Order: sequence, then C-alpha cells, then structure tokens
Amino acid sequence: MHKPFTDKPIQRIGEDGRKIGRWTLDLTEDQLRTMHRDMVRARVFDEKLVTILRQGKTSFYAQSSGMEGTQVGLAHAVRPGHDWIWPYYRDQGLAIGLGVSVRDLLAQCLGTSEDLCRARQMPHHFGVRNYNFVSISSSIANQVAPATGTAMAQQYLGTDEITVCTFGDGATSEGDWHAGLNMAGVAKAPIMFVCENNQWAISVDFKGQTASTNIAVKAHAYGMPGYYVDGNDVLAVHSVVSEVAERMRAGEGPALVECLTYRIGSHSNADADAEKQYRSREEVELWRSRDPITRFERFLAAEGLSVDAAAIRAAAQREVEDAITATEATGTPGWDVMFEDVYEDVPAHIALQREYVRAEQEA
Amino acid sequence: MTALQDKETAVSTSATLSLNLIQAINLAMREEMRLDERVVLFGEDVGARGGVFLATEGLQAEFGRRRVFDTPLSEASIVGAAVGMAVRGLRPIAEIQFADYMGPGFDQIVSQAAKIRYRSGGQFTAPLVIRTPSGGGVRGGHHHSQSPEAYYAHTPGLKVVMPSTPYDAKGLLKAAVRSDDPVIFFEPKRIYRAFKEDVPEGDYVVELGRAAVRREGADLTIVGYGGVMPDALKVADALKAEGVSVEVVDLRSIVPWDRETVLNSVAKTGRALLVSEAPRTANFMGEVAYTIQEELFDALLAPVSQVAGFDTPYPYAQDKVYLPGPNRMLRAAAKLLGY
Ligand SMILES: Cc1ncc(C[n+]2csc(CCOP(=O)(O)OP(=O)(O)O)c2C)c(N)n1
Ligand SMILES: [Mg+2]
Repeated sequence: MHKPFTDKPIQRIGEDGRKIGRWTLDLTEDQLRTMHRDMVRARVFDEKLVTILRQGKTSFYAQSSGMEGTQVGLAHAVRPGHDWIWPYYRDQGLAIGLGVSVRDLLAQCLGTSEDLCRARQMPHHFGVRNYNFVSISSSIANQVAPATGTAMAQQYLGTDEITVCTFGDGATSEGDWHAGLNMAGVAKAPIMFVCENNQWAISVDFKGQTASTNIAVKAHAYGMPGYYVDGNDVLAVHSVVSEVAERMRAGEGPALVECLTYRIGSHSNADADAEKQYRSREEVELWRSRDPITRFERFLAAEGLSVDAAAIRAAAQREVEDAITATEATGTPGWDVMFEDVYEDVPAHIALQREYVRAEQEA
Repeated sequence: MTALQDKETAVSTSATLSLNLIQAINLAMREEMRLDERVVLFGEDVGARGGVFLATEGLQAEFGRRRVFDTPLSEASIVGAAVGMAVRGLRPIAEIQFADYMGPGFDQIVSQAAKIRYRSGGQFTAPLVIRTPSGGGVRGGHHHSQSPEAYYAHTPGLKVVMPSTPYDAKGLLKAAVRSDDPVIFFEPKRIYRAFKEDVPEGDYVVELGRAAVRREGADLTIVGYGGVMPDALKVADALKAEGVSVEVVDLRSIVPWDRETVLNSVAKTGRALLVSEAPRTANFMGEVAYTIQEELFDALLAPVSQVAGFDTPYPYAQDKVYLPGPNRMLRAAAKLLGY
C-alpha cells in the first residue's frame, strides 16, 4: 500500500534504473514493452508535430516531452473506454497510452475532414468519444468540477467506472479547482485528480503559484488522500494510480495524485522564443538528463529485458508520417460545418446566416 | 474628474514616437506608473515574461516586483484583488491574458467591481482597469478569439473601452487608469502590430465616452470599434474611389457610447452601417441601431444595417469565413446605397 502525504515523491526506480525499496513487479513483459513503446510514441509524436508546425501545417502545439512517465503510467493504469477522462491540453501522451489512434489525433491537429471535432477547435485540443476522453477546453481548470459531476453520475448509476481528471500545477490556483475537489470530497465520488506538476505555468514557477510545499498536501483540506509521486518514474505512477483506482472502485471516494515532472519543451510554440527570459538553460538541461524514457530503459535492461529502441522510434516515426499522409488525403471540411452543432438543430436565425454565407461563397 | 479627463489635451512636449498599438499600451502604463505611485500592474506572466503578447515588456524591470508582478493562475484572484486594492486606494491595472479567460473572474467583475459604488451609496469605489486582448483573426479557435464586450456593456457600473489606433490606445488607457470607475479595456489583438502611427511621448488622455470621426462623408455612416476599424476605413476609401462619400465613426468607448456623434453623423448621411465582429445576437450594435431608428426615423434613407460575427462559437478552421472583412462590409454598403 502506498502512503499518502509523503515528504518525498514515491519512487519505484532510481535514475540508474535500479529498484528502490522492496516490491514485486506485477506487470507482464508484454505490458512493460507496450508501456515503453507508448512513451516513445508520445515523444516521437511531439517531435513530428513540432516539425509540421514549422511547415505551417498546424498552428498550435504544446509538447509533453519529459512528461511521458506521468501520462503513459496513468494511461496504462485505467481501463480505456470504460473509465472516463477529463483531460487538459497537454495530454497527448495520455491519449496515446489509452490507445487513441495517432491518426485521430493528427486529424484534429490538422483539422482535416475526418477530425472528430470537425475542425472547430484549436489544434491540439482533442476529444474522443469512444475512449471517454472528453473534449478538452483551453480554459484552465474548468474541467475539474465537470469531472466531479461525471464521477457523481457514475456513483448514481451504480457503475464500476471511475473518472480521472488531469491538470497542470498552475490549474490548482483557480477557484474552480478547489470547488471541484471540495464537492468530490463531500460526495465521495469515484474521481482521481491527477496533477501533472511540470513546475512551470508558462513563466510562473511553482513558488509563484502556491505557498504549499506541494500539491498533494492540498488534498488534506478536502478530506481525501494526496499522493506525491515521482512523475518521471513510470512504474511509480502506474503503481500508485492502479492502487488508488482499485480502492476507488471499492467505494473509497476521491483522491489527489500529484506527479512531479518537468516540461522540457517550451510552453507552446507561442512561447518558444520567450522561454529564456524566465528559466535557465541549466535547469532545463538538468531535467532533460532525468529523462523518464531513458530511466525506464535502464530498468528494462537491468531486468534483462532488451528493447530495440531505434526500431521502436523508427516505427513510431512511420506511424505518424503515415497518419499525416492518410488524414491529409481526406481534405478539409467545408465552410458550412461552422453553422452546425451550435445546437441540436440549426435554428432559423443561424440558418439565415448560413444562407447568407452560401450566397457569398457561390457568388 | 481631473482637467485632463475633460477634454483631449494637446501636449506640451514636442517629442512623438512612431508606435504600434501594443507599444502605445505599454507606454501608457509606463507613464501612468511614473506619474502615480498608486498604480500597480499584475496578472499572469506579466513580469519577467512581459505578458504573452509583450504588452508589459520592460515594466517589471523599471518598476520592480512590488509594482509589477505575476499572480497565481486565477482570474478570480486577479480581479478580486484588484477590487480590494482599488477600494483601499490603489489604482490597479489587472491583465487578463485573453478576454476568453475572464470567465473565472466574471463574478468579481459583475458583482463586486461593477456594483460596489452603487450598493454602498458611493462610499466605496473600485477605480481599476482590466486590460485584456480580445477578438479574432489570430487562428486561436474559440478560446483565443472571442469578443465578449456585450456581456460587460450589459452590466451597469462598468465602463467598456476598445481602441483601434495607437494614439487612442495610449490616451484611452491613461484616461481609464485615472477614471474613478472600473474600466474594462479590450485590446483588439489582431491589430496589436498592424500599423504604427505618431504618438506623443508626453501626457495626454482621450476622454472616455467620446467617439472619433475617422473620415468625413455625406452618403453613408459606418460605425464600428476595435479590430474591424482598419477594414471599415478600407471600405470608405474603396467607395470614395467610386464617388461615394462615407463617414466613419469609431466608437472607441462602448459604455458610455457617444450618441451625439453617431446621431449627428447619421442625421447627415441618412444611412448607417454598424460593424463589429461579436456575434450578431445581443450585439452591442443592436443598441446603437435601436437608438438611431428611434431618434432619426424621419431622416433615414435606408434601414439601419449590421455586419457582425455569426451566432456560432468562434470557429477555428473557418476563421476567415467567420470574420466580417471588407467585402462583406462593401456588399452591405452597396445595399444601403441602393435604397
Ligand atoms: C482560465 C485561463 N486563464 C489563463 C489561460 C492562459 N494559459 C494557458 S496555459 C497557462 C499555464 C498553465 O499552466 P499549468 O496549469 O501548470 O499547465 P502546463 O501548461 O504547465 O502543462 C495559462 C496561464 C487559460 N488557458 N485559461
Ligand atoms: Mg505546469
């Protein structure tokens, strides 16, 4: 049993890849390999997206490089398409780990005809119904109270599903974050709040965000356990999340899990040049050297499990390239999708506006 | 009211700078902070980062962290703290990173800032400025493109301003800082860097509540504000080449709005085209249209017409179709002129 409210982040493996403490591995070789592959796929997805961003194929992207331990560890500990996820915008590794196809993700980033969100949303804001991966809102922390509501519905309906709600460190300052946790505590709803603490919210560091020693301690105030986890240790994240999810399914109520990690890339492409004004290269390099993928590879090697990292990378690159080609071939949606899905039907005043644009387009 | 607020004051200093809109905003804050110790500036990423659009660039370096600081990521805290500071005698300028993110601070804006003077019988006031970039045209999808001015215009107690030129941006922001009422200062981000103009380096204000006549004309009045103004001027120029004389009125202030300037203009031209990029339904221009028809029914030669955004959330890929550009304005103008 993992303990809540530890002073140090919970770890399973050290930087050198060796086990910390005594525990037995409850993952199959196959599961370990998939976990590793998904981390690499997420990293490659970032690299490719940054490239196509430079080519002007998409206009916005926020890398999750450095955070794969948190996102993939979490993804592999929930039941895809069964449990519900209220994610935030930097969760591509979570989506990939759950099994969402890279092609679906790319269709959204490129706004092609097969984009499930119909090219209405800013790139990199996914929403995938068949994975219960709820549409991402840019507005920080406004997924938190809705996630509590989803968990209350699961409780009401008597399902064995749980809800996972992710967010950054910055999000924990919003009033809605506190409102959502408080209500979940009162309702004892089956929800896991997962803070992907990458230590920066654009240019504001952790100390500028909160005077708390960490995020996990805030759980105290809402009557739920708070786990402080090394987010660059994929096995620690997986282990804590699995255990908490299990207890939640048994009716133990909500929990907060803080995964301490780091954003290696810029906040988004819009921040790429400004970054040097607020954080030092040394700090970035230090955290780059604590790469969660390398650490996991060291562990796999120590366990005698060899992975062909180069081949996995190459396959991941092909996967993304093929998905780009395939989704681009579907073209882009017409102007008229703009007028749909505002409501269930198209009310008369919007229909008139659509006719107005049609006349313009046909002129 | 200070003498400065009574009228646009000519400036004693001779120096002028060639500035774009965001540089003018930066200069306005710099000058107000130099003039008045009570002015403090805060928001998300406004310190070392200089704001995500760089509106506050260099201000923390000049005034220090005591007067220019980053806040935790919470718009309710930003606006709420601004209210409390203003009540206690400071002149806070609060930056909300995008107008689309005013939501978490909405209650503080409409329940505290807007009403504290009224509900306290004038004993307490909240002289604060909320600066925020708004409007579309930057491929930002619905969370980085909205034009929410009507929500705030609909709330008595708030002044609502949106400049469209660097000169006005500086003068209006300075007037906003000196205003004893809370001012929501929308910055049309798509024209932050669109063009430069000469801006006096010294002190002047542009009075809140006064429109500007950008072009004089006799056949048609175009009324607008903010990001659509450059297109409105293009339309006026295009029509001029065809022998049509268009008067262009830039509201600059939405609350209070300059009825007199608008009504005088439409009384003269008999035709009014109201342009904005906010969604059509409950658009502030509906109020302008209502006033024109009520006051000038006999003088009108054509129905009052609007070009606005559509009644959909701001779309991402269809951004260009959504935004009312010069062509849409030209067609609407042609229709009015055909009556
Ligand atoms: C309500 C709201 N305010 C401001 C923003 C602008 N903004 C976008 S990301 C961000 C920082 C978020 O930091 P954090 O929660 O730590 O997530 P990270 O980006 O580090 O993953 C800010 C201020 C926003 N999207 N929503
Ligand atoms: Mg963060």
